[in-house]
Amino acid sequence: MAKLVEMRGIVKRFPGVRANDGVDFDLAAGEIHALLGENGAGKSTLMQILYGFHQPEEGEILIDGAPVVIVSPRAAIAHGVGMIHQEFMLVRPFTVAENVILGLPGERGGWLDLVRAAKAIRALSARHGLAVDPAARIEHLPIGVQQRVEILKLLYRRARVLILDEPTAVLTPQETVGLFAVLRSLAAEGKAIVIVTHKLREVMDVSDRVTVMRAGRVEASMATTATQETELARLMVGRDVALRAKKAVREPGPVVLRIIDVRARDDAGYEKLRGVSLDLRAGEIVGVAGVDGNGQSQLAEATMNLRPVESGRIELRGVDVTRATPAEHRAMGLAYLPADRRGVGSIVEMTVADNALLGSQRRFTWGRRIFRDESAICAHAARVVSRFSVRTPSLDFAAGKLSGGNLQKLTLGRELARDPAALVVEQPTRGLDVGAIETVWAELLAERAAGKAILLISAELDEIFNLADRIAVMFEGRILSVLPAGKATAETIGMLMAGRAARRTEECETLG
Amino acid sequence: MNGGMIDSAFFVTWLTGAVRLSGPVLLASVGEIFGERSGVLNVGIEGSILLGALASYLACYETRLVWAGFAAAILVGLFIGLFLALLYVTARASQVVVGIVFNVFAVGLASFLYQASLGAAASPEIVPMLEPLRLPWLSSLPLVGRIFFNHPPVLYLTFALVAVAHVVLFRSRFGLSIRAVGENPKAADAAGVPVERMRYVGVMLSCMTGALAGAYIVLAQVGMFRDTIVSGQGFIALSIVIFGRWSPWKAAAAALAFGAADALQLSLQLFNSGIPPQLLLSLPYVVTILAISGLFGSKARQPAALMIPYVRN
Amino acid sequence: MALASPLFIAVGADPLAGYWALLREAFATTRGFGFSLVRAAPLTLIALGTIVSWRAGFGYLGFEGCFVLGATAAAWLGLHASAGLATGPLSLVVFLPFALLLSFAVGGAWASLVGVVRARFGGNEVLISLMTNYVAIFLVQYLVSGPMRAPGGLPESARLPRETWLPFIIPGTRAHAGVLIALVACGLVWTLLRKTAVGYEMIVAGLNPAAARYGGIEVGRRLILAAFLGGGLGAIAGLVELLGVQHRLVEGMSGGVGFTGVVVALLARLNPVAVLPTAIVFGGMTVGADAMQRSVGVPSSIAFVLQGLIVLFVLAGELLRRYQIVFFPLRSRARRKAIV
Repeated sequence: MAKLVEMRGIVKRFPGVRANDGVDFDLAAGEIHALLGENGAGKSTLMQILYGFHQPEEGEILIDGAPVVIVSPRAAIAHGVGMIHQEFMLVRPFTVAENVILGLPGERGGWLDLVRAAKAIRALSARHGLAVDPAARIEHLPIGVQQRVEILKLLYRRARVLILDEPTAVLTPQETVGLFAVLRSLAAEGKAIVIVTHKLREVMDVSDRVTVMRAGRVEASMATTATQETELARLMVGRDVALRAKKAVREPGPVVLRIIDVRARDDAGYEKLRGVSLDLRAGEIVGVAGVDGNGQSQLAEATMNLRPVESGRIELRGVDVTRATPAEHRAMGLAYLPADRRGVGSIVEMTVADNALLGSQRRFTWGRRIFRDESAICAHAARVVSRFSVRTPSLDFAAGKLSGGNLQKLTLGRELARDPAALVVEQPTRGLDVGAIETVWAELLAERAAGKAILLISAELDEIFNLADRIAVMFEGRILSVLPAGKATAETIGMLMAGRAARRTEECETLG
Repeated sequence: MNGGMIDSAFFVTWLTGAVRLSGPVLLASVGEIFGERSGVLNVGIEGSILLGALASYLACYETRLVWAGFAAAILVGLFIGLFLALLYVTARASQVVVGIVFNVFAVGLASFLYQASLGAAASPEIVPMLEPLRLPWLSSLPLVGRIFFNHPPVLYLTFALVAVAHVVLFRSRFGLSIRAVGENPKAADAAGVPVERMRYVGVMLSCMTGALAGAYIVLAQVGMFRDTIVSGQGFIALSIVIFGRWSPWKAAAAALAFGAADALQLSLQLFNSGIPPQLLLSLPYVVTILAISGLFGSKARQPAALMIPYVRN
Repeated sequence: MALASPLFIAVGADPLAGYWALLREAFATTRGFGFSLVRAAPLTLIALGTIVSWRAGFGYLGFEGCFVLGATAAAWLGLHASAGLATGPLSLVVFLPFALLLSFAVGGAWASLVGVVRARFGGNEVLISLMTNYVAIFLVQYLVSGPMRAPGGLPESARLPRETWLPFIIPGTRAHAGVLIALVACGLVWTLLRKTAVGYEMIVAGLNPAAARYGGIEVGRRLILAAFLGGGLGAIAGLVELLGVQHRLVEGMSGGVGFTGVVVALLARLNPVAVLPTAIVFGGMTVGADAMQRSVGVPSSIAFVLQGLIVLFVLAGELLRRYQIVFFPLRSRARRKAIV
């Protein structure tokens, strides 16, 4: 069968990373093809190239056997390739019909023909089981139905290839079943479908073929029936661990931080934490592994009450801090290093000294806590800078001009300078070079040795394996399992990250 | 209050005044609706009205033709619109800052050009103005006739423009695209709508109707140009857009409400009532403040991307 | 300045002679310089109010309202103070502190209303504050045509007693002590922003509300504080104009300073130290414009054009250098939610 889409030898580099390193990918009409990998594997980049968001540096794309150059999403649509992003591109106050026809040339000159559009939409809906009311407003529709609108948009534009990026991230299990039925119907009609995912369930349930990517390369590509979850997990996660940090074995102390059955929602209102419980002991690092988007950020924020906790409790050394303000958290000894070091963790427009001050601005004062004690502030900043080897020309240097590694050292140092009992650290080495990574790891291990409790949230398995004493895996808002580091293999962790508990392949542990 | 005073004559005078006074601000608000619907808040509309007023006065002064005044205003509005759109959309400057600075600049420029063209000491001359147009049959209707159908032609044209704007905004491709740009420019961009171009058009429409509103004031209401001829009507137009929920007909109702309050205080002064006129004048503002304060959860109705510059990343 | 020259030539005047006359009158003559200072005082105070509020992330534009309310409060106190005092004549030393406090409080409370609406309900403070100007102006109009009106029929209050007038500080000029008040205010604002912990918190809240929350700063409270301080400073501008120049409450006293003060603040890049010199230059241009007119024949309003052009081109220069940090505090809606 001639391939509908072929991508050969695709190379795409971004500053500092080879997102796609000679990738081959093909797609046949009528098949559902899963593109599996963790964060940073390169799967999203590959599809964005197919959809015209990026141009490959090397390689070619063929559609129906003929080479094409896709310069923009509009060109992609013209070639029959459509993409549904994780963040829906819908105008909320508009109706379904209005969203579907937005940007399309009309039939009646400049005037909208919503009646005809509605008719066409209903016909498409009926044909594919995509029940949708063309006159309904998007803002009133549940997410699952909004996704159907996105699919309809593509069908209306006669797309032959549909790319879905993490489609079940926001769906309930029932909605997922419905989606898969729709996808099968579309495939039966000859459409080619790509599902970009990190979830094994999706791959096994609905795909015909699966391609596993890791670190910018294709690890394997085969028919779904010819493989099993364990193999896929291993391929997805790999076995190599690049760096080895020296870690002494330690006996953890008493429980410092308790997270008890916490539930929370994200900014859009979806339940992101579905009852998470975890205990953190002094002198241990608990690593929270998992693909981005399974609730990790929300967990970190909820712990610091930067995100309201709907039910459940957070206890620090026995004291309930669920509703405490961030200032109170700091005062009681709970520190947090957010993932967004430039957007939340620091103020890039201010000086190094002023950044070192954040959180302690009431401490270094005189005159009944009103006036800044400049010498104390400078001394404090100097201490942080020297202890954590932050390379900066001066304390008055703009923090935004520091390199990523130095900025991270500064923010980490600032939080640690308060001598917290527990530290929640999110993606601490994202975007850093090897030297900076080693420094940060060494710091975290030093704090561990000093008896601090550390919750390390990271999408980098390297980091988790190197630093953590225990490993908890988060998936869809829950902690699936907590394993001692010694018992965790790449395979078991990979399975958990992809939604399957180890050794339960037959009785599907439906986690929904 | 003397009960005998409040009779039909009072109402007629009042409501006629309401309709008359609402014309210019309504005209300005129509274009601003398109601008804000595309996501740009044009605080500089105040300056546009002023410069349009000046342009229309000078053009009419030279040519003695009323319609030349309006034509001049449109041209001026076009150029101002291009200039401001460049700053708002392409340079992605702070819309409020650019608007405020432009208004201050416009005041100076208008004053300067006026004095330069006509000499500082010249006594202001009245230019030919538009006469009220009595629509043949409609204006002889008992009450309604005098109130609604005895106004300069620009008023009727303004209401016609409101109708056209409504249809275009809600029934045409252009209207759909422009609304999408103001709600979710990312989605619009993904659908192939040219976001920057739409915003340029929105801003230019806003400045053009603003300039026309200035011409309206000069050529159909006052007859000459003064520095203080606008004094805040641009900001009132902004309020009308919000009060009218970014919808042309509702804005017309809001404009009439403002006009009614304004006219009421004039009428009440004639009748020497005890209510301070300023109370009535401030009422529309207070109501608008409440409407956009978010107290009643109505913030959700505003174009979601209003005042947020769009960067494609 | 170069760009305005064509305007000169178009009117048949000599630009260089014109500028020279302007500069000389505004800054080189004692009398002219005095006038420049008089103009600069309220401009400075409004600019300081802008700096305090905008740098905390609160885009307040209601200074016209604060100005008139501050002037009204001071006028009320001035007119009633002598009546209330049983112990001898009124003196400025006693009157002024109370007047300053009252004006500041009134203006601050007025602006805080908008601050609360923004902090608690997420309302758009730009538009709301623009409209509060009208409410305040109408309120004062009412007072000045009614309860506070002086006998005589004109919409203005009675003349304030001489004891309330700000003394002249430079002999031979009309420069009054309001300039000193403005100077002190500059120092206070600078101290607040650079030297206090609260000022630090306000600046952080303005630069990055998410980081501020993370850093334990109560962003909503700082916003309301910024509103209060900004409004108070705007009100003092009104007091200064009332007690230094007008000596009675009149309609239209502000002359648009509520907006030109904002422009001065922008020209000074929201830096309190640069404000006073900028205001003097700006004010001086208006003063010198008359001289320019007399000497060269150009309409005096060209000063406004010059001012406007200078501002526009300074701003344009900033925008072109995109990577420059400019303190424009208008935040997106997502960040707005983070503040409450």
